[in-house]
Amino acid sequence: MIKDFEYSAPGTLDEALSLISQYGEDGKIIAGGQSLLLLMRRKLVAPRYLVDIKGISSLDYINISENGDLNIGALTTHRAIETSREIQQKFRILSEMEENIAAVENRNWGSIGGNLCHADPVGDPSPVLVALNARLEIVSVRGERTVAVEDFARDRFYVNLAHDEILTEIQVPCPAPRTGSKYTKFSILEGSFALASVAMSVTLNAKSDICDDVRIALGAVNSTAMRAREAEEVLIGKEITDELLEKAGEVASGEADPIGDMRASAAYRKELVKVLVKRVGKEALLRAGKDSWEGSSAKSDGKVALLGRR
Amino acid sequence: MLIEGKFTLKAPIQQTWDFLLKPETLAACVPGAEKVELVDDRTFDCLVAASVGAIKVKFQFSVILTEIDPPSHLKAEGSGEEVNKRGTFTMQLTVDLKELPEENVEVYYRTDVNIVGNLATFGDRIMKAKARQVGVEFADALSRKLSGEEVVPSTGLKMGAGEVAASIAALPAEKLKNVFKRK
Repeated sequence: MIKDFEYSAPGTLDEALSLISQYGEDGKIIAGGQSLLLLMRRKLVAPRYLVDIKGISSLDYINISENGDLNIGALTTHRAIETSREIQQKFRILSEMEENIAAVENRNWGSIGGNLCHADPVGDPSPVLVALNARLEIVSVRGERTVAVEDFARDRFYVNLAHDEILTEIQVPCPAPRTGSKYTKFSILEGSFALASVAMSVTLNAKSDICDDVRIALGAVNSTAMRAREAEEVLIGKEITDELLEKAGEVASGEADPIGDMRASAAYRKELVKVLVKRVGKEALLRAGKDSWEGSSAKSDGKVALLGRR
Repeated sequence: MLIEGKFTLKAPIQQTWDFLLKPETLAACVPGAEKVELVDDRTFDCLVAASVGAIKVKFQFSVILTEIDPPSHLKAEGSGEEVNKRGTFTMQLTVDLKELPEENVEVYYRTDVNIVGNLATFGDRIMKAKARQVGVEFADALSRKLSGEEVVPSTGLKMGAGEVAASIAALPAEKLKNVFKRK
């Protein structure tokens, strides 16, 4: 049984901000409840005040500006991102990632902002947004600030967010020309927790196939989604070959610091990182417009290529 | 759920052994320890808090030393409950000390914990991760205390989000990036 709490459902952001600043540590925001309710039902979390922000429609939007930047309101559901035509066309990695989060029922109700604030280290949006160099807008009665997604989660289930702050917007910059990105998670059942996941965004030089920039993010192999910075260094400034990707995979695997649990051992997760970096890297390069890939039969479209296990 | 780990301390093995079994050492070095008391020569009574994100728990339990073989081996059994009735647990603990060259001691521990109740549904992926974190913090505090440093008992709770935000608000934006850079 859930412990008693006082429920309020403010209709505007201002109202919500003033409520949570009043409640402080005793209050908790609910934005769909796909994660929080599970904890409350098990009495692991028992807030005295629950502020339901689901009804604040001003935080539910997807906008792509003229210069190509993407802004997503924090209350946008996973399903809305998954099915947005604009995102499918211009930020395909995001819609592909959403397709494979839990079940459609969860995606219909859970919000992207709630997912990020819950900061489960196995969460899918986090590594993808880290690879895309996204930022978060955070608002409180004291003012607003932005923080890079990679600096938002500080530990398992613990984020850089004060009790009186609300995450309002996810800001994804327009990718540079010749940028390709790809995310893959490896899980036992489709849509279930990742044993390991890798998101990569590669930018190639305008005139050659030299890698100008790359961001590699690993999920489920540390206390939060993490950048594999040393692996990035392996690739930057070079024309990426099969061998180089293999090397980057090995380096990334060394950077990962997973725990072993009933789903998979730590060593197995590290091995997955190695394999996934290579797999994801190839696809990201193809999407970035690398002309040829020796021996590659990967097609850049079709769902089959999206799933880690196939 | 099996939790094991090892760490190295710089001290003679006998000194490490004596030091390790003092209640005041444990109280100062176990992250979140609010109470560690020796009830008789083999039994410790403990109260330890821990948190993962918004989940905060407090365990009340006793540990009985069942096998003592100074200065290198001990076995213990423990049992207790979460103070808000969110779970009960039993555990078996083995600790082995091994002498290394240059007065270093390797401490190896292995615990088999069995949790029942709401907490158990939380999943071993989180508890194991937390246990590893606690193990690392404990080893760190122990080694500092052994070298004579004053160790303030950790609360077991991280810095509150409000304090984080206050410290952020006080910083200029360009410094923020460094603050949250991991490592």
